[in-house]
Parts: sequence; structure tokens; C-alpha cells
Amino acid sequence: MKGLAPLFLGIFGTFAFSWIGLTVIPTWQIGHLNPESDEEGTDIYPRPQSGMFVRGEHVYAANGCVYCHSQQVRADYIADDIERKWGSRRSAPRDYIFERPVFLGKMRMGQDLANIGARAPAPEESPAPAGAASPATQGAAVSSPPPSSASSPVTAPGTSPASAASPNASTPPGQRTGVASPSPGQMANTTPGGSSPAAPSAQTPGAPWPIQTAGLPPMYSAAWHHVHLYAPRSINPDSNMPAYRFLYEKRRIAGERSAEALQLSSSDAPPAGWEVVPTYDARCVVAYLMGLNQSHPLKEVRSVGGAPATGAAPAPAVQGASPAPAAAGSPAAAKK
Amino acid sequence: MNATGIPLKDPAVSAAAGDMEQLERAYIDASTRVPVLMFYTSAIAWLIVGTILAMVVSFKLHSPDLLSGISFLTWGRLRPAHMNVMVYGWASMAGMGTAVWLMARLCRATLRFPLLIAAGAVFWNVGVLIGVGAILLGDSTGFQWLEFPRYVAVILFVAYTLMASWAVLMFRYRRGDQIYITQWYLLGAFLWFPWLYAAGQLMLFVVPVQGVLQSAVTWWYANNLLFLWFGAIALGTAYYMIPKVIGRPVYSYHLATIGFWTYALFSSWTGMTRLVDGPFPAWMITASIAATILTMIPVATVGLNHHLTMQGYFPLLRYSPTLRFTVFGAMSYTVFSVIGVLVSFRSVASYVDFTQVSVAYSHLGLYAFFTMTIFGSMYYIVPRLVGREWRYGSLIKLHFWASAYGIGLMTLMLLAGGFLQGANLENPALPFSESIETVLPYLRGRSLAGILLTVSHFIFAYHFGLMLLGLGRTSTVPTFLNPVEAETSGGH
Repeated sequence: MKGLAPLFLGIFGTFAFSWIGLTVIPTWQIGHLNPESDEEGTDIYPRPQSGMFVRGEHVYAANGCVYCHSQQVRADYIADDIERKWGSRRSAPRDYIFERPVFLGKMRMGQDLANIGARAPAPEESPAPAGAASPATQGAAVSSPPPSSASSPVTAPGTSPASAASPNASTPPGQRTGVASPSPGQMANTTPGGSSPAAPSAQTPGAPWPIQTAGLPPMYSAAWHHVHLYAPRSINPDSNMPAYRFLYEKRRIAGERSAEALQLSSSDAPPAGWEVVPTYDARCVVAYLMGLNQSHPLKEVRSVGGAPATGAAPAPAVQGASPAPAAAGSPAAAKK
Repeated sequence: MNATGIPLKDPAVSAAAGDMEQLERAYIDASTRVPVLMFYTSAIAWLIVGTILAMVVSFKLHSPDLLSGISFLTWGRLRPAHMNVMVYGWASMAGMGTAVWLMARLCRATLRFPLLIAAGAVFWNVGVLIGVGAILLGDSTGFQWLEFPRYVAVILFVAYTLMASWAVLMFRYRRGDQIYITQWYLLGAFLWFPWLYAAGQLMLFVVPVQGVLQSAVTWWYANNLLFLWFGAIALGTAYYMIPKVIGRPVYSYHLATIGFWTYALFSSWTGMTRLVDGPFPAWMITASIAATILTMIPVATVGLNHHLTMQGYFPLLRYSPTLRFTVFGAMSYTVFSVIGVLVSFRSVASYVDFTQVSVAYSHLGLYAFFTMTIFGSMYYIVPRLVGREWRYGSLIKLHFWASAYGIGLMTLMLLAGGFLQGANLENPALPFSESIETVLPYLRGRSLAGILLTVSHFIFAYHFGLMLLGLGRTSTVPTFLNPVEAETSGGH
């Protein structure tokens, strides 16, 4: 090859082609999505997150959860994610517009977490503020209409949506932060060992793993997450998740046992007179997990079991085309 | 006394050019000595660190209670630490060393201001060190392949500018009109990397793109780093080393031209195959799958070109360490690309997406293809910098076989395990834990492969250390893998 000009031009040209094609054009196409709402401008989804959710996101990033857990549900005609009860519909670009960083993930050495918050026991089934008290109430619980959605308009990132979304946030005694925190102790107190509540089976029919273990808090409740993070193999002996004990503090019980102390089984339990309590980071990462919820319907994606959102979208594979969903005239997505 | 070749065939060039050319080469090599040795030394130090990290990561994956409970030793921090040490510590520095040396040789120009490049290498090392420390202390950005925090990116960028600018500027002082194939690839790599790195940093941190596009940018970056930075350096190196060692020109310039341009055009579009079935517009993924299939054109042309160059000279693989490693790398390029095409098809991808297959793919590219080629180039270049020949042919042989079997076993284990894991994952009748149970024995096999690779890296580091300390052989003939036979046939 002679002459530098064609070489340089070619080197720049090929790369510019790829750069524009795979990053610039997609940004132009789906890089400016807005949240969706119904015709009154309420029931906004997704909502920006704040407080413990955001900090939990950093804990999630720092400890590399993304290297084993994906956060995306594939369509039912492609994969069996929905059949595994990992979600009620496929994930859409709009689900992630407030996530930073976004943890789509590339590996499933652990379960998909896109809807882990939606799988928490519903508030009426267990009185502790499991799902509702999490500061991140993207769509609140699956079945019940979110208490916040009717009254509060979209909240700016600064104003914590938790204030509106947790009516029973006053109950947990273990709150020092002012933010509604899922309190494991609460859960432990309400379900003393032995009886396994019916909540999980109602939430995850047919999902065979993990199995609700007797003597442990209801599956996917905040208390359960804490026990699972502290001692994964106490919940599932076959689990190969690392234990995140450094997120917990083992301390001598001063006076009364803390309400947020973990309810651990024999081999993992601290010696008598000691208790294991979550650090702030642990509470944040659990708040983050419980806020992961894509169960809210989106107009561009067909929900399994629910009515097709718009009915006019025969091609569910491409969701990016709708530029501004703020069109107020469109009918509200069918709420179950 | 042609110091470059195998005694079987003296390259025609050197016979004609005579002593002047030898002198000139020695002069150029001397000018690159400090920076290139510095690159290599730091690269090998990082290789050892990364290998140790890899072992812990591999064992922890199937034995999660190993070294558990300590924040900076948790699996989710060690894994990105290992990855970044290998990518930015080992592979980038080793590739840079080879590239700088090749550039000087091919431009027939002495390296100006070698200390400036050496300073860049120091900065780069500092950057990687801080970055890995930050990951272990929990300051990872959470973007795969770009876990280093922003402040580290600034250091790396300054370091890169110091290092690469002079490698590119050497072009100005080059002698001769012809620009050799290797120079196309190296020039491409040197210009693509900063653009790529800057684009990744800008679109993720400075002016962040929205939502899922962060993932698109991340995987666009990762695949381009693999192809346009590491891949381009490795292909350029192979185009130099193979003809050089066997003393015969490249079979076809024309094929090489096609190979280069199709490589630049298509491989840069392959990134989105990693996001197949994800929440993206379908055209992005389809475009990447199409591009991946089209990468068969550069694979075929480059592979054919190397094959036809080598034809009749394959017996030399018995003797020359450089040739053996380089040919292994060049062949792995084909394997890597073919597997890349196979797993990119939507029907296959829906099975192997989210499994160990993606790990196998990355290791094929970064190790079997890139690292083996660079090992080959180091066996060629280091003796020319320290003025000694490698001390033990047996150690080179051991290094080669441990590496070859290690990476082969690792790839097989991860591919087989990944496919079974994916098949179970896609079978809703089985519980999720079944897919993990299935892959665990293969992960143990992978740890075994890791032990082989660890052995090979320690052998190489020891051998390189001997060279560095001036303990190599003083000889006019290079160290061969099978010395006795080489000398007898050398008489022909």
C-alpha cells in the first residue's frame, strides 16, 4: 500500500462508521425516552430513584453482583425467563432510563434480579413493611395498586418517593436514617421460627428455587435478603453465592436484642449474647434489591397474562420507535 | 551470522544487504531497548499478578467459602481486578512493547526520545495499580471492561498519549516508500485505541447516555478493544513474525489488503452480539450478527495468506519458539472467530447467552489468539534487546505446552459447561439451581486448566528474569526448541 492518506482515511472512516452506527444512532433513537404515564399524568413509570436505592446501586456495583446476576427479562418467544417467573413481561429500554450504571448483566450464575423486588411478599400477607417500605417503589407490589401513584405526581430525584410510598414506615424501631428502611428484625419478630408463611408460594408459583426454608423469613422479604446475603447456604445448601459478611456487624447485645438483628440458623448464628446487624450499606443494597421491579406495564411491551398494552403493536421486538410517550391522549395501560 | 533467522534458510534480503543493514538494525534495536524492556517487564509482572488473581477467582467460583468474608477478597471484586490486570496491565503493555519495537524496525528509524515513552509506561503502571486498588476497595464503576474509576482513566490517557504519540510520529521519520502490512495494523491500533477509550469514557461518565445504551456502549467498547486494539496488534505481529522467521515474503499483498480493510470494517461492528435478545432495538443486534458473519472474510483471507506463506515451512515449527507461538496464535484467531460466529446466531445465543460460553470466548480472543502471539514476539524481540539468547530450550517448550494445553482445556471446559448450563437454563422444567450444578464440574476442570497456565506463566517469568539479568546464552544462533536436529539440518 502506498500513500498515507488512504490509510489514515480508511482507519478513521471504518471506526467512525462503527461509532456512529452502534452508539450515536441508537442514542438518537432510544436515548431520550421519558417515563410513561396514564392520561391524567399520574401513575408514572419508571420513577427516578434516590436515597438508599442509589447507594445500594453503588454497593451492588462495588461488589460485582453484576458478574453473576443479570437484570433483564427476555421475551417469552425467545427464552423461558418469563416461565421461570423472573418477570411478567420482557424488559424494555424504558425500564432502565433512570439506572446508572445499568446492570443488564452477561452471566447467570445466579438468578435474574430484574423483578426481585416484585417478588417480595405483599404487605397484606405479612404486616412488616417489606415491599412498600423500600424507598424505591418503582411499581410497588405486583398485585396491589401502588398507594403513592394516585396522589403523588412524578417526584424529582431529590425528593424521596419513599415518603409517599410507605404508610407504615413509622413502625420499624431500627430506623436511624430517616429513610424508610426494610427492617429484618421486624420480619423476624412477626414470623417466629417454624411456620412458613404462604406468601412465597402465592408470589412465585412454580418457581422451584429457592425453596422457602422453614424457620426463615418469607422469601424475598428484606429479612430474607439479609439472611441470604449473610449466609447464602443456610437458605439453599447448593447455593454458590459468596457470603457478604463484611456488610454485617457482629456485636454484643447491649440491653435488648436489636430489632434488625438477623435471624440466623444454628451454624451461622452468633454466640449467645451477640447479634448480627446489617450495616448501612447492607440495608441500602437490600433496599436496592427490593426496588428492582419491572412489573408495571409498559405500552410498548406485551405483558404476559395481562392485556396487550396498546393492542396496536404486533411487533414486540422493536420498542425504540416511540419517541415521546408523554402523549396524554393515549389510553391508560390496563392495570390488573 | 544472521542473528534473526533459523539456519535452514537465510533470508535473501540480509545476504544482499550485508553488514550495513545488520548494523542499522542493531542501532534501531538499541534505541528501543529501554522502553520495550520496560513494557515487557511490567507486563510480565502484571501477568503474574493477574494469574494469581485468576486462580483465586476460578477456585472461589466453585468453592464460594474460600477466603470469604473479607471485602477486598470477595469474588465480585477479584474478578474485575483479574480482568483489568490482564487487559490493561498485561495485554496492553505487552502489546505496546511489541508494537513499538515493530514500528521502529519497519520504519527503519531509531526511536526518538525513548525516555518519554518509558515515562508513559511508568504512568500507565501507576494508573493500573491505582485502578486495581480502587476496584478491590470497592470503587468500581460497575461497567464491564471499564471498571477503573474516572480518575484512573485520566492517568491512563496521559500515559497513552506519551507512549503512542512517538510510536506514530516515528512514521514521519520512516525511510522507504513501502508501508508494510504490519504497519497498517499497528497504525490502526494506535489510532483506534484513544478514540475508543475516549468515546467509552465520554459516553459513560462525562456525558452519560441514557439507560440501556450504557450497556451498548460498554459492549461496543469491549469488543472493539478486543478486535481493534488487541486483535490488530496481534495480527500485525503475526504478519511480521511468520515471514521473518521463515525468511520468505508474505504470500499475497492483495489478500492482506482485503483482510485488513474487511477486518477494520466488520469486526468493529460486532459488539452488540453480546446483548442478543436484550432490551434493544432489534436492528442493532441484527447488524452485529451480520457483521460477525462477515468477519469470516478477514478470517479466511488472513488465514489463507498465513497458510500459503507457511506452506512448505511447517517443519520449522519444530525449532523456532517464535514461529510456534505465533502460528498457534494465528490459528487461534480462526478458531476464535468461528466460535464467535457460531455463538452469535440468535438460535444458539438464546442458549449460551448468560453462560460461561462468553468467558470462553473472551479467553480465546485474549489468550489463545493475542497472548500466544505476543509470547511469540517476545521470544523474538527480547534476545535482540539484551544481546543474549534464551537460556533453556526446554523451558520454552514447557511454557508452550503448558500454555497450549491450559488454554485448550480451559476453552473446552467453559464451552462444554456453558452449553450444558445454557441447555438447563432454557429448560423451565428444571429448577434454576440445576444449571449451576451442571456447570460446577466444568468449573473445577477450568481451575485445573488454570493451574497449567499458572505454571507456564511462572516458567516464562523466570526465564525472562534470567534474560533481564544478563544470564542468557551468549551465542550467535537463537535458542531452538529441538536444538540437536536443528543443527544437523542446518548444514543443508
